[in-house]
Parts: sequence; structure tokens; C-alpha cells
Amino acid sequence: MKNTLLILPFLALLAACGTSGSSKNIIVEDRNPEVIARETSSFEWQDSSKSAKNSANFSANSIENIALTELKSSAVEFVLYFSYDGFDIDEATTQEIIKHANFMRDNPKIDLRLEGHADERGTREYNLALGENRAISVKEVLGLYQGLSARVQVVSYGEENPVAAGHNESAWAKNRRVEFIYQPSK
Amino acid sequence: MRFIVLFLLLISAAQAILEVSVVKKDKNPLPIVISDFELIGAGAQDKTSAEIIRNNLERSGRFDVFVADSLEEFDSEHWKQRGIEAVVSGTIEQQSEKIYKISATLFDVYSNKKLFSKSTRVHLSGFRKVAHQLSDHIYEALLGESGSFNTLLTYVTVAKNKAGERVYQLNISDSDAHNVKSKIKLKTPILSPVWSPERSYENKKIAYVSFQNGRSEVFIWYPYSRRKIEKLPSFDGIASSPSWHPNGKSLLLTLSKNGNKDIYSYTLSDKALQRLTSNPSIDTEASYSPDSKHLVFTSNRSGQVQIYIKNLSNGRIKRATFEGTYNAKAVFSPDGKSLALVHRVNNDYRIATLDIATQDLSVVTDSKLDESPYFSPNGDMIIFSTNSNGKGLLSVVSVQGQRSYQLSSQNAEVREPNWSTYLE
Repeated sequence: MKNTLLILPFLALLAACGTSGSSKNIIVEDRNPEVIARETSSFEWQDSSKSAKNSANFSANSIENIALTELKSSAVEFVLYFSYDGFDIDEATTQEIIKHANFMRDNPKIDLRLEGHADERGTREYNLALGENRAISVKEVLGLYQGLSARVQVVSYGEENPVAAGHNESAWAKNRRVEFIYQPSK
Repeated sequence: MRFIVLFLLLISAAQAILEVSVVKKDKNPLPIVISDFELIGAGAQDKTSAEIIRNNLERSGRFDVFVADSLEEFDSEHWKQRGIEAVVSGTIEQQSEKIYKISATLFDVYSNKKLFSKSTRVHLSGFRKVAHQLSDHIYEALLGESGSFNTLLTYVTVAKNKAGERVYQLNISDSDAHNVKSKIKLKTPILSPVWSPERSYENKKIAYVSFQNGRSEVFIWYPYSRRKIEKLPSFDGIASSPSWHPNGKSLLLTLSKNGNKDIYSYTLSDKALQRLTSNPSIDTEASYSPDSKHLVFTSNRSGQVQIYIKNLSNGRIKRATFEGTYNAKAVFSPDGKSLALVHRVNNDYRIATLDIATQDLSVVTDSKLDESPYFSPNGDMIIFSTNSNGKGLLSVVSVQGQRSYQLSSQNAEVREPNWSTYLE
């Protein structure tokens, strides 16, 4: 009770002094996005069919699927690795790419999606660019050998899809990569 | 002691709200009492206005915030004895069904003077906004600088679902991380959200990068209007790294037409595309200076990753960073005089500031994987994403490094922060 009594003169003073006049007639209202969100739609989920990874789109008994299964069981790398901030292709890597080039030459109904990736170090947007450079480096080698460029799609995920979760050089080395993903021709 | 240190009590564990923890404060924070606002009238109600203000001031690291015991007398001698330097009191009075009058007074204990008393009429839905505005008024009256409370954040959270898949969510919240809204939730990466510069809610939009169609594309979300999310036209290759022109009418983008990653300006109204860099190296992460006369970007044109500034009136490009072998993702401070950027120190990636005129670089943080720095609208703090025990969270640090707080989530990684300009 004592408190109330003491506060009252203070408020009276406040009223007497008035307030900064400009804001008097403005009613502050927060536009509540929750209401709007409810009105428009629920969460947007991606169409999962679009993100279909790997080579799952070949029908089981097709010639392409058999050829691909054979390729996978042979000594061919489907993931190529890169140095820190690097996108150069060395001789050993070139040899691996030639095997893929030969495979594509022999299987004209198969297209290739090259996914470039980076490790988590450095900035996300720079790594997105770096991942694309890695995939483009591989595509350039493919193009040189068989003129396959038109059948090769390049995509970069930057550092967004790591395969190894650690924060150390062994994890980073596994994440600086280009993945070969075969798809039926369009 | 008759006060209660309030802050720790207010860290709520509500699901979508990030936890706030103050890490470092000023050596001599200003002791301030903020009493609960008095309710006047039978139906009067409060949505914790005083609590919002207390949390704001405490989080800034420049105040020690106390709440008055309800039986405490109001008397400057009384507060002086207890080492309190400022006192805030307020009232909330119902005027019609949903319209209230909120009044607040800031009292300076040592001069025994009222620094301000303000009142405003507010719809029930606007209580938080008024509390943020009052926080800004108190901050400015006591410290002589603008606060950054009546502003918004956006950030991305990443959590694993029951199937072990990563689920990405784009969120917006008030500057205190409360009032969280999320609409976009995907199983594919989301990155680089940026608030457009408009001050009105209706015109505010967020540009961001999404992989929902299997490649990086730029989208625009209008969180306060009924407009649908808009995808910018598909370009050949990467489309990423959006940032707004200070007029809000065009965006800087990184596009990789023909595989060459360059900076382009894209105008929303006529979809006109203008190429701003043409070097065969990687050029990305561009953003405008506040006066829109310059743009800063990351490039590996020297063989190293460094920051460059392009003068848009004469077209000249100058390298801005010379210290270290990796400098990236620079943004201008609100006064245009300095940059915040990611700087590599040995094997660690830290946040640094660069004085553009003197080229002085100061490392502000001491962790390992810091990225995505962005200035608070008053230029006093830098928000960025960092890692603690292998988990992503947001950290906010003052430009001199003496104050900091963190925003984290129990069940999600938090990353890619961006801070809006002041709201109207």
C-alpha cells in the first residue's frame, strides 16, 4: 500500500509533463505473420522425387542398369578427392575420369550428374563456388576425351552435404570431393 | 539485497525459441532498475513488457539489470545507497477492448531528474514492439548511442528428424530471438537469408538460397504479406549469395554463367541483369556499401581468397585485405567505414574487422569455424555463426570484443544469421 501512495505523485508529474506529442495518435500494431502463414499455407515441403540421388532411376533389367552395375563392381572411383581450396585434376584422377568417359561413350543413354562438394572450412558461399569449380574441372576432362559435355550436368553443394561429420583433416579430406551420379538420358 | 538478478530466470526453454546466454559484459555495466509496469483499469493486461526491456538491456552487456522489490520505495537516495544509477517505471492502461496506453518513465538517480517520459497507444498485438522501442529509447538516453532492439533477425536451423535426415528451417524473430516465425522447412539446404532494407513490415522481404530443386537457386519470401514465395529466374549454373541494394529494388547475386562465377545486379521490377565483375576467377559474396557507391566481394583472383572493393562510379576494383591468406564474406559497417569479414588465422577461421582507410585488421573472435558476420544496425555488435563442441550456434560480439552473448538451440544447429535495419 505504501508503494502505491508513493508512486501516485510520480505519475501525476508524468501526466503534467505530457509526452512527446508526435506518437499520440499512432497505434502501434505488430503485423503478426503467424496469422498470415495460417491463411496462406502450411510448411512447404520439397518434392522428394526431385532430389533423387544416385542412379536409382534405371529400371532393374535395363541394359543401362546392367552396365552401371558392372561399372560399379570394377575398379573405378565414383568419388574424386581434392586438396584444400584446390580444383586441379592430377594424372591419377585423370585416369579415373577416362574410365568414366569410356563408360559414357559405350552407354549413350546414360547421362552424368557431377556433384561438387567442399569441406566446412571457410565461408559457405565461397565453398559453393569452389564445389562448382571442382565439378567443372572433372567435366572439362570428360569433354576433352569424348565430347561428352552435353550429357554432363554440373551441380555444387558447397559444404552443405558433408559425408564425414568430424572437424578434422581426415573428415575434411573426405568432404572435398566430386561425386559421379548416373541418370537415364532425358 | 532487495533486488533479484533477473536475467537467468527469463531464459525460457520454449521449443522454437533460441536460448540466450550472456557470455561477457562491460567491466562496469550501468546498474538499472526496471520495475514491472503497473496495470491500470479492471481488464488491463500485460505481455511482460518490463521483462522484454530487462532482457534487452541485460543482453547488450552494458547494463546490470535489477527488478525492484514490490515494497521498495521510490526515492533517489534509496537507489543511490544501493548503487543504482537509473530507474524505469511504467503503466499499462486499457482504453478500449484491444487498445492500450503504455507509458514509461526513465529516472536518473544521481541528477535526481527524469530523463524522459513517453506514452503511446498500442494494439494488444503491438506490446512487444513497444517494449523494443522503449528499450531503444532507454539505451539512447543513458548511453548516447542508438540501440538495435526494434529490429529483426533471420537465421537457419538444421535438425535431424526421426529418420536421421537433416531438416532445414528458415526462421525470423525479434532481435531478442523471441516471436519466432518459420514457414520454410525443407530436407535440402537453405542458406544466405538476408533482410531487405525497408523499414515497414509490409515491404520487408527475405532473399535466400535453397536447393529444393536440386541446385542452388535464389528465392524471395514476403513474411508479412500474402505474396507467395517467388523464385528468381533460373540461370545457367549457380545462383547464390543474394544481398540487397540499399533501396531494396535490386539484388546482388553470384551467378556462374558458362561456369565463371561473377557478381551480377538483378533488378526485381524489370528482371534486368547487369554484370559487375568479369574476372575468370571466383567472385562471390558481394554486398553494397550503405551509400551504394561501392561493393565489397570475395575473390580468389590473386591465387588466394581475399576481399576486394569495387568503386561503382569509376569501375575500379581495389584489393582491401592484405593480411593473411584467407579473407572472405565481408560486409560493410552501417557507417561504411569498416568491414566485418572471415579471416583465417593459422588453421582457424575467425571474425575480424577491417578499417578500410587504414587497412588495420583486428581479429574479434578466438574460435575455430566462425562465419557469416553481419553488423547490428547500430554498428555496435557483430552477429555470426560459430561452433561449440561441434554444434552450430550464433554468437553476437561487440566490435571491440569486450561484450558478447550467444543464441543457441538444444536440438538444432543454428547458422546463417542476418540482422534487419530498424523497423518503423
